[in-house]
Amino acid sequence: MKAHHDLMPLVYDELRRIAARYMGRERPGQTLDATGLVNEAFVRLAAERTREFENRTHFLAIAALSMRQILVQRARTKRAIKRDAGGQQVTLDDASVPPSAVRAGFERPDPDRPGDVDVLALDEALTRLAEFDPEQAQIVELRYFGGLTVEETAEAVGVSPATVKRQWAMARAWLKQALEGLGPLA
Amino acid sequence: MTPQRWSQIKKVFNGAVERPAEERAAWLRAECGTDLALLEEAEKLLRSHDTLGPFLDRPAGVDPEDLALAEPPEPASDGDAAVGALWHAGARVGEFEIIRPIGRGGMGVVYLATDRRLHRNVALKSLPVTLAGNTQLRERLKREARAAATITDPAVATVYSLEEVDGHLLLASEFLDGPTLRAVIDEGPMDVATVHAIALQVARGLRAAHEAGVVHRDLKPENIVITPGGAAKIVDFGIAWLEGPGHPHQAKLTRAGAMIGTPAYMAPEQLMGQTVDARTDIFAFGVIVAEMLSGRHPLSVADAAPARERTPEGDVLAGLLQRLADHCRQTSPAKRVRTARELVARLDGMAGAVDAAPGAPRAAKPAPRPTRFWWEFHQGAAAVSYVVMLVPAWLARATIGGVEGRSFFIATTCAAVMASMLRLHLWFTSRQHPTELPWARRRSAAWIRLADILVVMSLVIGAALVAAQSVLDVVLLVLAVGVAVSSIVIEPATARAAGLENTSAS
Repeated sequence: MKAHHDLMPLVYDELRRIAARYMGRERPGQTLDATGLVNEAFVRLAAERTREFENRTHFLAIAALSMRQILVQRARTKRAIKRDAGGQQVTLDDASVPPSAVRAGFERPDPDRPGDVDVLALDEALTRLAEFDPEQAQIVELRYFGGLTVEETAEAVGVSPATVKRQWAMARAWLKQALEGLGPLA
Repeated sequence: MTPQRWSQIKKVFNGAVERPAEERAAWLRAECGTDLALLEEAEKLLRSHDTLGPFLDRPAGVDPEDLALAEPPEPASDGDAAVGALWHAGARVGEFEIIRPIGRGGMGVVYLATDRRLHRNVALKSLPVTLAGNTQLRERLKREARAAATITDPAVATVYSLEEVDGHLLLASEFLDGPTLRAVIDEGPMDVATVHAIALQVARGLRAAHEAGVVHRDLKPENIVITPGGAAKIVDFGIAWLEGPGHPHQAKLTRAGAMIGTPAYMAPEQLMGQTVDARTDIFAFGVIVAEMLSGRHPLSVADAAPARERTPEGDVLAGLLQRLADHCRQTSPAKRVRTARELVARLDGMAGAVDAAPGAPRAAKPAPRPTRFWWEFHQGAAAVSYVVMLVPAWLARATIGGVEGRSFFIATTCAAVMASMLRLHLWFTSRQHPTELPWARRRSAAWIRLADILVVMSLVIGAALVAAQSVLDVVLLVLAVGVAVSSIVIEPATARAAGLENTSAS
């Protein structure tokens, strides 16, 4: 059987295509914004397949989920590579290591993005949050990983923008606490 | 943290946030009363809230390189720790003897095993041991497995039993040997009659399940097995919710942060974490039918597989199936096909088109019935007859003579031409644009009836005018009777046999 065809065929490919184009022309190390990425993916896909994308929020929710998966997966890979590389010297002329792996081994601290967090820790905390408040967890996923606005999030979740704001504030507070290790272990 | 406790905290927290800082402390104390733990939790959260700074303020940033390197997420296959022991061939587990592992899902390993009590082969699925510690979940699983076991439909893999052996939960169900529908779709374009046959079986399976009160929740090509005999079998009824996406307990069942689910088949309401019911399965059904027709997921931007050459008859069926799929994939559940029963009825209603389509399983069904041919033949024959009828009308004109003769002939000709042309129009539509036929019939039905009445009337009047002057009156009367019988009796019969009556009524 062919492997994993079931997984996010569409949004995924489009996000990757967009990324590949940016890699060609932006200065290295520049990060893309989830909001811009997701919206660009939507615009491009919607232009090709108008009929399937009558519901934009449906698409945005899938995209947010994809972004979360991608970021978590990459963070995990990087951590593994770092761990493996711990004992041995990796040099650029080491032909057995693909250049991408070498580059990915270095995490660039980005002074432009003070709000960035440890994605793996956030993902774990979010999974925990989802156990007792799935709505807050979903709102965080949409807002942070999908870059949705408050209004878009409200539409996707089916609540009022005021509720989104309240839930978002509380979820942020809880997550910050959890990430700082002060949070109550649920 | 329980959801109940959390909502208590939420209430206090939200109340406090809305108040000016100086009033908060007093308000909190009043609100929490003697529950000091609650007070402490709320205060900690509020402190965290006040010092949020830029935390999560901006959406996630992505290094384009990361994005480009990301692999499609894999199911949590390294969740073996949660799956429990792996058994080897020959191992005895309760009453089962393991023959070999046959698959591995996000949730557990599936084995081919022999039930030693009943001497039959079963598919044995080991469920995560984490379930053992959760009574609520386990009860639900038992309930659902019991409900799934009551489904008796050839298109649903039979659930035999849910067993507990040494702390492991095992689900024994019908062993199926064959590729999944995913493999079949990936092999290349499917012929449209096969698509219809599989869709019909799956719809019947859904009907049986929904009427037994079981919703699948994770219907997708991977969960449909095609047996060597060509039968479609839906698997994982009653347990799909365990590994299905969007389930609040899902996180506990796989490793933390495991990649979840298959959003590609999830209905919008499921994706949003809202209530899921039978209509969620209907959405997934629509996606699957669309995918079988085109060879690609309806949301996929990949180029469609080169379409299989289709005859006009095949196109009719493909069009009907596509329309059904679109109807199932409506964003709002209320706009979808409402029940699986209705799905089955709609698919059954396509029988005429299936027989005409190439690739129809001839062995299972009688040769295509000449139903549409009969109706078309009748339309053609009637159209010709009306024109031929003008010969005796012309002769009668001469016999009657004068203005009456002329008027009679003109009236008959007009009515006959109208009746004839409309029938030729339908005949042509049926041959060239079969999908438009119901519409064309609806539009012209009244006119055809009117033309027939006019023809009969003018023939009867003509017969009266010629009366006693020639045998022509008999000829005209006979023609009038013939037209009336044809229009009132024969034509509806041919339309009915061609399955057009249903179509035009819907």
